[in-house]
Amino acid sequence: MQLHRDRSKFDAAGVRLAVIGQGSPDQAAHFRDSHRLDGLPIYVDTGRDSYKAAGAKIATFSELLGPRVVAKGALASRRDGVVQGRTIGHPAQLGGVMVVRPGNEIAYVHLADDAGDNPPNDEVLQAASEAAQG
Amino acid sequence: MSHARVRRMSPFLGASRGRQDARPPEDASGLADLVVQDLDGSDVRLGSLWEDRPAVLVWLRHYG
Repeated sequence: MQLHRDRSKFDAAGVRLAVIGQGSPDQAAHFRDSHRLDGLPIYVDTGRDSYKAAGAKIATFSELLGPRVVAKGALASRRDGVVQGRTIGHPAQLGGVMVVRPGNEIAYVHLADDAGDNPPNDEVLQAASEAAQG
Repeated sequence: MSHARVRRMSPFLGASRGRQDARPPEDASGLADLVVQDLDGSDVRLGSLWEDRPAVLVWLRHYG
């Protein structure tokens, strides 16, 4: 996972990294262990309440498995050397990234528009660094 | 129950029938009091994650 590889950069920037997934703690622990993500803070939101509050969307079928999305996924798999793991929870629930400062200020947000839409780590790291400095 | 009704209630993969727009909130006050669980099953108030320093929250679509 690209995030995990850059974890030290987030630590150095003075921000706290928190990964939120669906499913149960046991399922998330299996994900952490099978991907060797020791130390990555992972939380579970079984009811997806935080996904809804963040404004993350439910994808259409073409946003999940359309040709453009599948091609992006294939490129990302080759780049990162990983294949998609099990889908747990709502299969069409998309995710996103948010940088939140003390006081509930949202300094950065990128919510996925389709299943292959992930912001570059560098972009998130830049936003996180600015949030920590400002 | 008619076949058409079943299809309306169970779209393939739970996909939305119409395109949605992502709608981020103005601030994170609606997120702060939500509770998630850590991998030990303990409750964690989301807002506690950014009380003392910025937090990068990553919502996964899937595990992998």
